[in-house]
Amino acid sequence: MDVNKLVRMANQIAANLDHGKDPEKAIVGTLDHLKRFWTPEMRRQIVEHYRHGSNGSSATIELSYIAAKAVGRLAEEQTVAS
Amino acid sequence: MSAAFIPYRRARDFGTPKRESERQVTLTIDGETVTVPEGTTVLRAAAEAGINIPKLCATDSQEPFGSCRLCLVEIEGAKGLPASCTTEVREGMVVTTQSKRLRDVRRNVMELYISDHPLDCLTCPTNGDCELQDMAGAVGLREVRYGYDGANHFGAEKDTSNPYFTFDPTKCIVCSRCVRACEEVQGTFALTIQGRGFESKVAASQDQPFLDSECVSCGACVQACPTATLTENSLIELGQPEHYVITTCAYCGVGCSFRAEMKGEQVVKMIPNKDGHANHGHSCVKGRFAFGYATHKDRITKPMIRNSIHEPWKEVSWEEAISFTAKKFKEIQVKYGVGAIGGITSSRCTNEETYLVQKLVRAAFGNNNVDTCARVCHSPTGYGLKTTLGESAGTQAFDSVMKADVIMVIGANPPDAHPVFASQMKRRIRQGAKLIVVDPRATDLVRSPHIEADYHLALRPGTNVAVLNAMAHVILKEGLEDKAFIAARCEADAYNDWREFILEERNSPEAVEAESGVPAEKIRGAARLYASAPNAAIYYGLGVSEHSQGSTAVMAIANLAMCTGNLGREGVGVNPLRGQNNVQGSCDMGSFPHELPGYRHVSDPNVRRLFEQDWGVTIQPEPGMRIPNMFDAAVAGTFKGLYVQGEDVAQSDPDTTHVTKALSSLECMVVQDLFLNETAKFAHVFLPGSSFLEKNGTFTNAERRISRVRKVMKPLAGYEDWQVTQLLSNALGYPMNYSHPSEIMDEIARLTPTFAGVSYEKLDKLGSIQWPCNERAEAGTPTMHVEEFVRGKGLFRVTPYVPTDERTTPMYPLLLTTGRILSQYNVGAQTRRTANVHWHDEDVLEIHPHDAEQRGIKTGDWVGLKSRAGETVLRAVITERVMPGVVYTTFHHPESGANVVTTDNSDWATNCPEYKVTAVQAYKVTKLSDWQQKYKEFTEEQLEYLRNARRDAEQAIG
Repeated sequence: MDVNKLVRMANQIAANLDHGKDPEKAIVGTLDHLKRFWTPEMRRQIVEHYRHGSNGSSATIELSYIAAKAVGRLAEEQTVAS
Repeated sequence: MSAAFIPYRRARDFGTPKRESERQVTLTIDGETVTVPEGTTVLRAAAEAGINIPKLCATDSQEPFGSCRLCLVEIEGAKGLPASCTTEVREGMVVTTQSKRLRDVRRNVMELYISDHPLDCLTCPTNGDCELQDMAGAVGLREVRYGYDGANHFGAEKDTSNPYFTFDPTKCIVCSRCVRACEEVQGTFALTIQGRGFESKVAASQDQPFLDSECVSCGACVQACPTATLTENSLIELGQPEHYVITTCAYCGVGCSFRAEMKGEQVVKMIPNKDGHANHGHSCVKGRFAFGYATHKDRITKPMIRNSIHEPWKEVSWEEAISFTAKKFKEIQVKYGVGAIGGITSSRCTNEETYLVQKLVRAAFGNNNVDTCARVCHSPTGYGLKTTLGESAGTQAFDSVMKADVIMVIGANPPDAHPVFASQMKRRIRQGAKLIVVDPRATDLVRSPHIEADYHLALRPGTNVAVLNAMAHVILKEGLEDKAFIAARCEADAYNDWREFILEERNSPEAVEAESGVPAEKIRGAARLYASAPNAAIYYGLGVSEHSQGSTAVMAIANLAMCTGNLGREGVGVNPLRGQNNVQGSCDMGSFPHELPGYRHVSDPNVRRLFEQDWGVTIQPEPGMRIPNMFDAAVAGTFKGLYVQGEDVAQSDPDTTHVTKALSSLECMVVQDLFLNETAKFAHVFLPGSSFLEKNGTFTNAERRISRVRKVMKPLAGYEDWQVTQLLSNALGYPMNYSHPSEIMDEIARLTPTFAGVSYEKLDKLGSIQWPCNERAEAGTPTMHVEEFVRGKGLFRVTPYVPTDERTTPMYPLLLTTGRILSQYNVGAQTRRTANVHWHDEDVLEIHPHDAEQRGIKTGDWVGLKSRAGETVLRAVITERVMPGVVYTTFHHPESGANVVTTDNSDWATNCPEYKVTAVQAYKVTKLSDWQQKYKEFTEEQLEYLRNARRDAEQAIG
């Protein structure tokens, strides 16, 4: 799947859950949304993009602050799991 | 004979409408003591007691009229002979319905009618089912003393302009039932009685042929007509039906109940069922007349297979087609992984059928890659209402609108998309309810006969959330919220967060005025009207959900209803107008990658265990792919097989170029459908499907109402759709052995708490059931969230306005929005194969005079429409229904390519496509677009492959 699309979707989710007052709530909400609605493959791809940053990834857009934090926690959970 | 077959007879007509009252009145009719609610007419009271007073102008779907003078009765103490239809019962009244005096008067009346009526009964289409015949017989008419040489109307010309019915004025008795049906039942007011005395005649609009008039062909007048004046063409052609079956319409989410009136296996006419709980005896042009697609010559009735989409089709046996499919799917899974195949369920097939497809995917495919067309329409409703109220469904029954004082319609066009419900809504508005319309276009509801919106908020596409927040801002700022309701029924912390957010200046009407284009005063007025009504109800549609903030807008609507206490009783509520006959049902049945039946997440081990134990398989705990994910994965090369039942994604989904690229990348696409639709042109296996007339099952409408679908003819291809899914499942190694859909429903009831009390037996007894139906609500649940919300306390959600990425630019300075119209249904696969093409044989582009003038465009010109996704060409229609800067089209004809232009922007929570906002440019052209040219060539190629298959098959037989 086109990684740009995944980054855009993650940013969109974060933008809609971030009410400007409570970043922690937005991060948790975004993380929860990704786990409830994204396939394991989609999550694996976005975590890979996060891990390699703009060097190894084919994406041309950046994860937003909240989205990056949420994906970061997802990455941690995946590391713990494996 | 099937238990569902009922010998044909006309539905009982009690003369005048039923009245509800707490007070009962007792009177005597022909010596019989009768007790009825206060307000009932003598005519109806007699009919309910089994006493049939002759009548012609009275019918129980309309208010009493008192013109025919047949229903006169003698009332002790009353002067003269009152008409029983206009006389209300009174305590102690003594009525005589038959006497010599009444007999003479009634014969005189009939003599006058028959003196100007053709005497060709034996060859007349309504012979055997004519109220005039019945009355002539009932009053004992033996002669017409006037003779037949006087002035008469026998020279009047027939009007055969409407493809579905004939208007023969020579048979008209000017009872006005048709005029009153068009007024009271339908609400279109297209008919009138023109002229006076002998010159009185029924006229459509300005005395025009029906097809040219404002008539919307709903057929209410035809149904109401007591003579052969207005008659269905199918009745004229075929003669009287001999039995009928009660079934449910397969078009929109109203789910009208019908009597399918049959001769053998042929439908003579579809007549709305008076006892239909959703439609109460009314219907629209589609359900009543447009059923011919089921027997159209384009129906494919033999399975077909091919190895590549650029090869001819080959007709094969069912066995060969099914084993070919099973083999291919298994090979794909071995090569690419278990998750490389998936299924799409149909929102037009029955509950039982969609349940089986999601079961097939989970049990036989072994993954959760199942989705349904709700993805592209009301998935935000599922998310938004589940989050705030606790259940993914509307809160009321349709009848609830009759108790509303203020009706707010947001992003919906009921007169076109839910016509029968719109007629009911209009009746309520004519009774005095106020109306707020929030829509970029001036739809029919904004202003039409006897209907005018008190507020029309004509907002720019994409600004729903801003306007909804501004309304809430006004309500809280002015102290109009229902504090008691909020305190008792909603979570306090969430409310306080939301309250703090809403009161911010950025959510004030003044702050959103520029962005939305709606004057602040109008937002204030509408908000005050909504909040101060005793009962205020919100109805919304795809103009809310098909946006990048669709889910947010749904939650904003729930916030409005909660903060004003407009939930938990009749006359209020949050009402999503589900578009299709069974989209609610397919969602209920778990056609989702993340939810099992009953909206329970796959990650919940208790739910999974319940199904695993019953099905004997392991169910994946992680969400599977949504339809857009399937397409992306197909293009990426990791998704290779798809089973599509009754969906036409190649026409209905956005960004057609991307969709067709994805479909072309599949190694095995299986399409189960009635016709070779757009998606089937990319298929490797075609499994012929069955229409609603050819199967047993249930549909669930927008009110959560489960109704029976009953078979009236053998499936043309030999199998009902659920049987085909069963064959496939068995071939894949997962056994399914249902012998009747009722067994499937029993399984659903066993495994789904909201359906626990549903069974075919109960459906036969009650007629229909609104879920939840279980121990706590044995007969179903018309109104939800009465004592408490499904999630306990209501949850306010903060809904900041996040503008869509789809902004106008110098290159794309207009906004395209889309919608539906009355006569065509969605992708048009059914309605384009009926006479409905008379009304809408092509999709057009509605454009404002200002934008048209700037571009040198006139009505009828070919106009190129281009967005960042693609380009197509449509014919232009100049109209002020759209505002400057906004253009509008429909998607009923594949060659219009409306979705070539729509983009992959979608709702943040559900990926519901943002059909309602696309930045475009429009310009005059002289030829069709490249896409349309290629589409024509590809279509011709595929149709040739189909013709080849038929030719080969015929040669093999001959």
